[in-house]
Amino acid sequence: MNDARWLGISERWFRLLVRFYPPDFRDEMGESFVETYRDRSRAALRQGGVPALVRLWFRALADSIHNGPGERTHPAVRWRRGGNWGRDAQMTLRRMIRAPVFVAAMVGTLTVGLGAFAVVYTVVHKVLIAPLPYERPGDLYFVWRNYEWINFPRGWLGGTDVVDLRKSPLVAGAVGLRWRQATLSGLTGAEPDEFALMITSPELFDLLGVRAALGRTFRPEEVGEGRPGVVVLTDGLWQRLGASSSIVGTDLRIDGTPHTVIGVLPRNFEFARHSSLGPPQTAEAYTTFAYDLAGTDPNGGAFAGLIRARAGTSPAALAEAVAAVGRVIDERTFRSRGLRLYPVGLREDLVAGVRPALLVLGLAGAFLVLVLLVNLATLLLVRAAQREQEFAVARALGANGAALARASLLEAGLLGLLGGAGGALVAAWGTRALVRLAPPDLPRLDNVAVDWQIAATVMAVGAALGLVAGMLPAFWSTRMRLSALLASAAVRGGGGHSRMRRSMVVVQVALSLVLLSTGALIVRSFDRLLRAEPGFDPSGVLTLRVPVPVTRYPNDTVANALHARIQSELAAIPGVEAVGAVSALPLSADADQTTVLFPGAPGNPGDRERDQPLIDYLVTRPGYFEALGIRFLEGRAFPPSLVPGTREAIIDHTVARAFFGSRSPLGARILWNDDSLTIVGVVQQPRLYDVHQDGRGQVFLRNDEYTYNATLSWTLKSGRPPRSLIPEASAAIRRIDPELAISDVQPMEAVVGESLQQQRLSAVLIGGFALGALLLSAMGLFGVVAGSVTRRRHELAVRLALGADHARVLRLVVGEGARLIALGLLVGAPGIYLAGRAIRGVLVGVSPFDPLTLAAVATGLALVALAACYIPARRVAGIDPARSLRQE
Amino acid sequence: MGMDRERRTEPTPLRPVEFHILLSLAAGERHGYGIIQDAEARGETLDVGTLYRALARMTEQGFIGASARRPAADTGDERRNYYRITPRGLRVAQAEARRVAALADAARSCGLLKGATT
Repeated sequence: MNDARWLGISERWFRLLVRFYPPDFRDEMGESFVETYRDRSRAALRQGGVPALVRLWFRALADSIHNGPGERTHPAVRWRRGGNWGRDAQMTLRRMIRAPVFVAAMVGTLTVGLGAFAVVYTVVHKVLIAPLPYERPGDLYFVWRNYEWINFPRGWLGGTDVVDLRKSPLVAGAVGLRWRQATLSGLTGAEPDEFALMITSPELFDLLGVRAALGRTFRPEEVGEGRPGVVVLTDGLWQRLGASSSIVGTDLRIDGTPHTVIGVLPRNFEFARHSSLGPPQTAEAYTTFAYDLAGTDPNGGAFAGLIRARAGTSPAALAEAVAAVGRVIDERTFRSRGLRLYPVGLREDLVAGVRPALLVLGLAGAFLVLVLLVNLATLLLVRAAQREQEFAVARALGANGAALARASLLEAGLLGLLGGAGGALVAAWGTRALVRLAPPDLPRLDNVAVDWQIAATVMAVGAALGLVAGMLPAFWSTRMRLSALLASAAVRGGGGHSRMRRSMVVVQVALSLVLLSTGALIVRSFDRLLRAEPGFDPSGVLTLRVPVPVTRYPNDTVANALHARIQSELAAIPGVEAVGAVSALPLSADADQTTVLFPGAPGNPGDRERDQPLIDYLVTRPGYFEALGIRFLEGRAFPPSLVPGTREAIIDHTVARAFFGSRSPLGARILWNDDSLTIVGVVQQPRLYDVHQDGRGQVFLRNDEYTYNATLSWTLKSGRPPRSLIPEASAAIRRIDPELAISDVQPMEAVVGESLQQQRLSAVLIGGFALGALLLSAMGLFGVVAGSVTRRRHELAVRLALGADHARVLRLVVGEGARLIALGLLVGAPGIYLAGRAIRGVLVGVSPFDPLTLAAVATGLALVALAACYIPARRVAGIDPARSLRQE
Repeated sequence: MGMDRERRTEPTPLRPVEFHILLSLAAGERHGYGIIQDAEARGETLDVGTLYRALARMTEQGFIGASARRPAADTGDERRNYYRITPRGLRVAQAEARRVAALADAARSCGLLKGATT
C-alpha cells in the first residue's frame, strides 16, 4: 500500500470519529478537525511509518471518545446546549431582530388580546370558580321562604324556622343571620363611625369551619337574653382600629352598648349574608343574638338561614329534607296557605345575580381569543410566504422539512411566550382598573387580582396559541412539494397557502360579525338603561344617612324631635330648595315589606288570600317627593306638619292600577294590621330595584306618625353641585349631636350610576372586545389583499398591457376581497343566532335579533372590511405594465 | 454578572491547552495544525479534539477570533480556518505568563529550579 492509500483510510477513520461530536460542533469545526488530523497523519507517516500512523488512530479514538461526549455534555458555546433546538433558537432570534415590524405586530396582537382575555378570565375564575374559603363549601346552603300565595318567592326565614331546621336528620347545623349598620364609639379620640354589623347564632364560625386568627370565636352559650356583649372583628376593622393584639379583652361601644372584643378573624376570611332582595351584605364585626331564636315570632321573616348538610348529602336529598321542614311550618303557622322552604347552594346563591353577565363576558373573551388565533396564523402565513424563497432554497440545499417546521414552530412559540408575558402585565394592570370600575356589590370583589397562577396560565396560553398558530404554516412548509415550492418562488410568490389565508379571512369576518353584533346589542341595551326614567329626578340631589342609636334616642318622641331638628337645620343651608327623608332610597332595594288590604277596591280578586298584596312600604319625611322630583298623578303630598290622627298614605301607580283600575283611589282606605289609613295621593313609582322596570307596589307613610324606622336617608335638593353641600350638612348634624354618625354621603346621580355599574362594565368590555375583533379582521383582510396584489403583479400587469384600465383591475382585486367578506357574513349568521340565545338574559329593552342593530353591524363590518381591501388594492395603480413585465 | 466579569478579567490559571493556543497566536495567526506544531516544539502534544473544543470555547469567550486574512504562504488551502489573538486574549496571556513566571521564581528561590531569577 502506498502512502496515499493509508492517508485515505485515515481520513475515513477521522470522519467516523467526528460523529462522536454533537452536530453543530461538527458543522462548525468538523472540516478543520479532519484537516488537522490529516496533517498529523502525514507527519506521523513521514516520521514513524505505518506503526506511527496506527498509533495516531488509537490516540485519535481515545481523544474523540473523551472529547466528543464531553462536548455534548459541556458544550463550548452555551446556547448549543439545546442541540438543534438551541441553534434554531439563536437563528430564530436573529430572524426576529431582522423583522421588527412582524415581531411587533405579533407580540402587540397577543399582548392586547391575551391581556383582555386574562382580565376576563381572572374575574370569571375568582368570582365563579375559585372555591369559597370554608370547610367543605359545597355542603353550605342558604334557605329561603317562598310565600306562594302572595307571589313572594324569596323571603327571610323566621327565627323558629332555623330552630326547626336543626332538627332535620340531614342538617348538621343551622344558623340565623341578621345585618345592620351600627355606630361604633367609645374609642378615645376617634369620631363616631358607622360600620356594618352581623348578628348571628354563636355556631356560625364552627359551621363555616373558620378559626379566629387572634383570640377566639363565640362559645355556644354566648347567646340569648342577658348574654355578655361579645364581638369578633374582621381583619379589616381590626387594622382600622390600630391592629394591636392587645385589643382582645377590651371594650368597644356598639350603638352605645359595651361589647368585649373576644377575637379577630383571619385576613383571608370572606363572608356575606345573602339577602332576600338586593345584593349580599358583608360585615366588619360579628356579634350574637341577644334573644332566643325559638322565642321569635314564627309569622315574621327576618333572618337569613345558613345550614350545613351532613357530609355526603346530595342536593336533591337536602332539598327534600328542607321542604319537609317547610311543610310542617306551613301547616302549623300558615294554615297551609302554601309556604315552602328551599335551599340554594352558597356559591350558586352568591353569584346568581352576576353569573349571566359574567358568562357572556367569558364567551366574548373566548371569541376574541379565536379571532386572535386566526390573526396570528394569518400573520405567520404571510411571514412564511415572505420566506417562501428562503424555504425553497433551503430545501433545495438539503434542509429537511422537519427542520424548517421546527424553526417555524419555535418562532411562533417564542413570540407566543413573549406576547403571553405582555398579556400578563396588561392583565395585572387591567384587573386593577376593572376592580375600580366594578360595581361594589360584585361578589368576592376583593379576591379579584392577577396571581402567579393566572400569570403563568396566560403565558402558557400565549405559548400554546403561538404554537397552534405556528402549526399551520409549519405544516404547510413540510407538505409543500419541493418542485412546486421552487416553481412558485420562481414566479414571485403564490402557492398553496393563499387558499388557507383566504379561508382564515372568512373565519375572521364570521367571528367578528358574531362578536360585533353581541357587543352592539349589549351597548344598545345599556343605552336603553341610561335613558330609562326611574320615576325620580336625581339631578342636584345629595343623599346621606344618619343612623339613630336606640340607646341615645330610646323612644319615638325623642327620635321624631331629632328628625324634625335635622330637617330644619338641613333646610337652612343656603341654596337648598327642598329637604326630605325616606327609609329606603330609590334603587337601594332596601325597603321592608308587608301585606295590606284595600277594602272595597274594585281590583280585589275576591279571594281572601290574594286580596292581601305584599307591598314595599316606605316611611318618609314631608318634602321627600318634592326633593326627588317624584311626580304626582293624582292627589297631593303629605302636609309639612302633622295633624294628629289623620293617618294618611300615598300609593304608587302600580297599586292604583291593580286595585282601582280607572277609578280614583283618592279617599279609599288601606287596612294595615289593625290600622286604617286614607289614600291622599298617587305617585309615579320611584323604582326601588331596577332603573328600567317597575318593582313591587309601594305605599308611603309619614315618619312622624309611624316610626318604624329610626334611621333615615336624607335627600337635599339644591341648585348647587351636590358635593359642595357636604361640609355644611355634616356640620349641621354634628351641631345637633356630635355622637351621630353620618354615612353613605353621595349625590343621587352617583347612586343611579352605581346601580348601572355592572351593565356599564359589561358594555365597556364587550364593546372593546368587539372593536378589537373588528380591527384584527380588518388587519387580516388588509394583509390578504396586499399579498394578493404583490403575488398577482405579473398577471395584473399583463391585463393592463392588454388594455384593461386601472379601475377595472382595481375592481377585480377589491372584488376578490368582497367575495371573502360576503362569505364571512354568511358563515357568521348562524353564530349570531346562537350568541343571541346566549345573551338574551342580559339584554334590556332590545331583542337579541333586533333587525336594525344587526343590519347596522353587518353594514358597518362590510364597510370597514371593504376599506381594508381598497387601501392595499390601490397599489395596482402603481403598476407600470411595461416595467413590471420587463422585470419578469 | 459582576462575578462573571471578575472571572473574565482575571481568568488565570488557564488550562495548558489554552495557554498553548494563546502562546502560538501571540506570535502570529495560525491554523489548528500550526498550533499543534508549535506546542510540539515546546515539547507537548495536543489532542485535536481538545484543541478544537478549546478554540470554540475561547472564541466564545472573546480571547481569540477567526482570521479573515490568509498568510501568503498558505493561499493554496482554502479549507483551513486561521485564528488570531484578540486584545483581550493578549491581556489574558500576559496575566498567565506573569503567573507562571512568578511560580518559576518561587521554584528557583527554593532550589527546585536552576537558573537566573528574572
